[in-house]
Amino acid sequence: MQSSIFRVSLAIALISAATVVYAEQATEIFIPIGQSPGLSHKYTVIGEVEAIDPGGQTITVSAPSGSHNVTLTARTQIWLDRSSLKLTNLNGTPADIQIGRTVEINYEEDAPNGDAKWVKVQITEP
Amino acid sequence: MDRASCYDNVSSFAFVLLTLAAVVSTVFLASCHPPPKPDPESELITTGRDIFFNETFNGNGRTCGTCHREENNVTIDPPFIATLPDDDPLFVAEFQPALKENFENPRLMREFGLIIENLDGFDDLANKFTLRGVPHTLALPTSIDSPQGPRTGWSGDGAPGDGSLRSFATGAVIQHFTKTLDRVPGEDFRLPTDEELDALEAFQLSLGRQTELALPLPLKGTVAKRGQEIFRDNTLGKCNICHFNAGANANVGGQDLGNANFNTGVEDLPDQPQDLTGELVPPDDGFGTPGDGTFNTPPLVESADTGPFFHNNAIETIEGAVAFYIGDAFNNSPSGQFLASLDPNGIGIRLDATQVVEVAAFLRVINALENIRQSLEFLEEGAHNGFSRRNEAERLFNLAINETDDSLMVLEGAGLHPEALAHLKEAKRLTEKALRRVFFRKQPAEAAIRELEKARAQIIEVS
Repeated sequence: MQSSIFRVSLAIALISAATVVYAEQATEIFIPIGQSPGLSHKYTVIGEVEAIDPGGQTITVSAPSGSHNVTLTARTQIWLDRSSLKLTNLNGTPADIQIGRTVEINYEEDAPNGDAKWVKVQITEP
Repeated sequence: MDRASCYDNVSSFAFVLLTLAAVVSTVFLASCHPPPKPDPESELITTGRDIFFNETFNGNGRTCGTCHREENNVTIDPPFIATLPDDDPLFVAEFQPALKENFENPRLMREFGLIIENLDGFDDLANKFTLRGVPHTLALPTSIDSPQGPRTGWSGDGAPGDGSLRSFATGAVIQHFTKTLDRVPGEDFRLPTDEELDALEAFQLSLGRQTELALPLPLKGTVAKRGQEIFRDNTLGKCNICHFNAGANANVGGQDLGNANFNTGVEDLPDQPQDLTGELVPPDDGFGTPGDGTFNTPPLVESADTGPFFHNNAIETIEGAVAFYIGDAFNNSPSGQFLASLDPNGIGIRLDATQVVEVAAFLRVINALENIRQSLEFLEEGAHNGFSRRNEAERLFNLAINETDDSLMVLEGAGLHPEALAHLKEAKRLTEKALRRVFFRKQPAEAAIRELEKARAQIIEVS
């Protein structure tokens, strides 16, 4: 009896843990800053890069809601939003995050400080 | 002609005219009903329907309805694709030079109904893609909710943004509607607005079944009835664990786990049809990037008339789809192993051929019952649309005919309920009669409804 309860509990735990909700990120690269459905203006921070730590791993973004810190991790995806130039959007690197550039940050957790899931960087010059 | 007889003729003529006018007015008014009261939800659904089937988002000419055809259970399959003209937007890769390479594989699309998806990124279009069938979008209110949030598409991660059904269209436009592979918003397509996303979501949620079945059903057919027992037996068929009430939600040990993802080993099936062609068919890693090999659970009530089956259209028949679960690919998969771990004898799923056919017969019968329910709904609604809304009535009658055709197909395909078939055929004939008429459509529509009810009474105990 105990064994079967254990198995069922294990099954529930396995199914629940193995399937965290995950939005499809492949097409996110093509969505301009501020237009991600259900995310922009709600679960992301959009603002100007105010400061970058010397190691380039933490950046500070100035947004209407205040200053927010964001940590770049090995998992963070960086995309270059070139839609205002009518050019295709591209994958970027931490070096593309520069002071003064507009960025949109999506966090691993919904709290607006912490590790970034993705960062969109607006590129306004070719 | 003297003046008196002239007056007589004029008054006779006037009388005839008046009588004619009265008859025409009566006929017209009899077929006219006041338009239904505006309801914000139904208006949103109507707007969503219009966007779904007509809006190209300034792209390559495709709409959502290009792959989700209303007349084909909001999906497409190879036999349906074969009926489309060569200039149908589905085939844009065949006639738009900018989309000739790495947008679709026309051969695999036409032969197996497979569509290219770049779910793991767009950085290597020639080699990094998956080929998936088109899932129907019926019964979504019952099939996308999980405790962890919404699950859309074949791997449960089909939508960008917040991953919701509302956001799904944005990703679909980028993936499927683009004019060029640069995919520049504003140039190659425009993204749906918030209002359009709201309307599209409302429309999609309105399609098909809105509630779960409550098994067991009081089925009359011997074979389907046994199939239902096997389906629900968690020590034999074990289907009800992941497809509770033949839907899309898992239920383990009495706990509702909502719509879940599983690795069932479909990717490990040998001799998959598309692999036999020699075309490049990269493995599909399912949920996430990189994927964890799991795929989302679809509802089964609508399955028998929406094959081919599984995310890659690997199996053509519902009997084959049930038989998949007694094969090595499933039983060696994480899900098969998991079921085996719950089994006192360490067995995943083991059925014999008769039992496979019985489970399939059950799935055919519940699909036919859903077809009948849908046909009744379309007929009842269509019959209440008068002359002024004849186009809407015709659309609904056509959908009723499609559903009745499907019920005939799924039952005839396995020799089930021959006694119900005559009623279904008569219902179809009467619906076609209603469709042809300009006035007095209600009578044949109501007669068709009675035939459908008789057919249903042959399949299931009706209280």
